[in-house]
Amino acid sequence: MSNKPNHSANRNRTAARVAAAEAQKPGGSTLPWILAAVGVVVVFALFLAIRASSSSSTTASRPPPAGSAAGTVVQGNLSTADVAVAGNALPAFPDKPGTPDPALGAKAPTLTGKGFDGSPLTVGGAGQPTVVMFVAHWCPHCQREVPALQAEFNQKGLPAGVQLFAVSTSVKEDAANYPPVSWLVKEGWTVPTLVDSADGTAATAYGLGGFPFFVALDASGNVVARTSGELTLEQFNALVVAAKGTPASSTSSVAAR
Amino acid sequence: MTVATTSTFLAAMAIASFVATALLLVVRFGPQTALNARLRRDLSRVVLPASWLVAITATLGSLYFSEIANFTPCKLCWFQRVAMYPLVVILGVATITRDARGRLYAFPLVAIGAAIAVYHSYLQAYPGSGSSFCTLEAPCTQRHVWEFGFVSLPLMALAGFTLIAALLLLVAPEE
Repeated sequence: MSNKPNHSANRNRTAARVAAAEAQKPGGSTLPWILAAVGVVVVFALFLAIRASSSSSTTASRPPPAGSAAGTVVQGNLSTADVAVAGNALPAFPDKPGTPDPALGAKAPTLTGKGFDGSPLTVGGAGQPTVVMFVAHWCPHCQREVPALQAEFNQKGLPAGVQLFAVSTSVKEDAANYPPVSWLVKEGWTVPTLVDSADGTAATAYGLGGFPFFVALDASGNVVARTSGELTLEQFNALVVAAKGTPASSTSSVAAR
Repeated sequence: MTVATTSTFLAAMAIASFVATALLLVVRFGPQTALNARLRRDLSRVVLPASWLVAITATLGSLYFSEIANFTPCKLCWFQRVAMYPLVVILGVATITRDARGRLYAFPLVAIGAAIAVYHSYLQAYPGSGSSFCTLEAPCTQRHVWEFGFVSLPLMALAGFTLIAALLLLVAPEE
C-alpha cells in the first residue's frame, strides 16, 4: 500500500519529463523516457522487496526470553522416524463440517517415537490432559499458526495443566519449506515435537483431516475435541480448557479408577 | 534472493503492471492530444517485444514458484499456465518476424487466461469458510503468496495477462 504514492509520483515525474522533452525537441522519440520510467519502477520494486524481506527476517527468529516458561527451542536433524502405535487408531476426522466427530470419547492410541534430535518421545495415553497439534512444513496455514502460538508461549509460557505436543507430519522433500526442523527452529518453536514416519503413521492413528490438526485428550487419554484448520488464540485456549475440562476431569477420574 | 524477497518483488511488479495497463489504455483510447499521438506512435514500435518480455517474466515467475519455491500448482494455476506459456512462443515468433498478426493468435489465450485469473483471484481473496486448513491435494484456495494484503499468485497472473492485452492493443495493425 505504501508504494501507491510512489507509483503515482513516478507517473507524474514521467509525465512531466515527457512533457518537458516534447517542449524541448518536438517530434523527438518518447521511448527513452518510457524505458527510463519502466527501469525506475523495476528498481523501485527490487528495492522494496529487499527492504521488506530484510526487515521481516530480523523479526522472524525471536528466541523465547531466557528463563521463560516457554521451554527450549527444538533441535536436531531428523525429518522422519518410525512411530509405534499402541491402541486402536481413531476414526478419520469427518471432512464435512458440522458432522459429529466419531472419535469423541474414544481412547486415543499412544504414539512412541522420536523428537528431531532422536530423543524418545511419547504422545497420548493416560496421566495428564494433552493437546496434540499436527503440522506440515509446506502448509501455509501451519506456517501462520506456529509463529502465532509461539509468540503467545514466549509471553505466557506453555499452557499450564496440559501436556502440549506437536507432530511434524506429511514431510515432503520436494515441497516448500523443507526440512521441517529448520522451519520450526527459525520460528523458535519450543513445543516438544514428535517426528512422524514417512507414511504418516502418527497422523493416520489420530485420524488426521487437514493441516494444522488439533486433538485434545483428557487426563485418561480420551478424545474430548478434534479440529482441523488454523485456530485463533482464543480457539486454541478453548481447546486447552476442553482438555483440562472441569466436568470432564470427574469422568476421567472415574475412568481412571 | 529468498522466496519472500522474490514474492514481494513480483507482487510489486504486478501492481506496477496494473498501473502500466491503465496508462496504456489511456494512450490507446484517451484524448487525441499531440503527446498521446506521439506516445502511441513510439509505443507501437516496441509493444510486441514488450509483450513478449511480460510473457517471459510471467512464465519464469511461475516456474520459479513451482520449481524453486516448491509450491504445488493447483488445477486453476495449471489452466492459467496453459494460457501463459504458449504466449512466450507466439509473441516471440511475432517479435522476431515483426508480424503484427501475432497479436491475433495471442489475444484468445490472453482473454482465456485473464478470465481464469479473475475467478482464481476472487477465490483466493474471499475464501469461504473451512478453507483455513491444508489438505494433501493442492486446493485452489491455498494462498502461497499474499503480499501487501491483497496480491496473490493469480492476481500476479492477471497483471501479466492484462498488461499483455494492453500492449497488444497498441500494435499497429499493418506494419
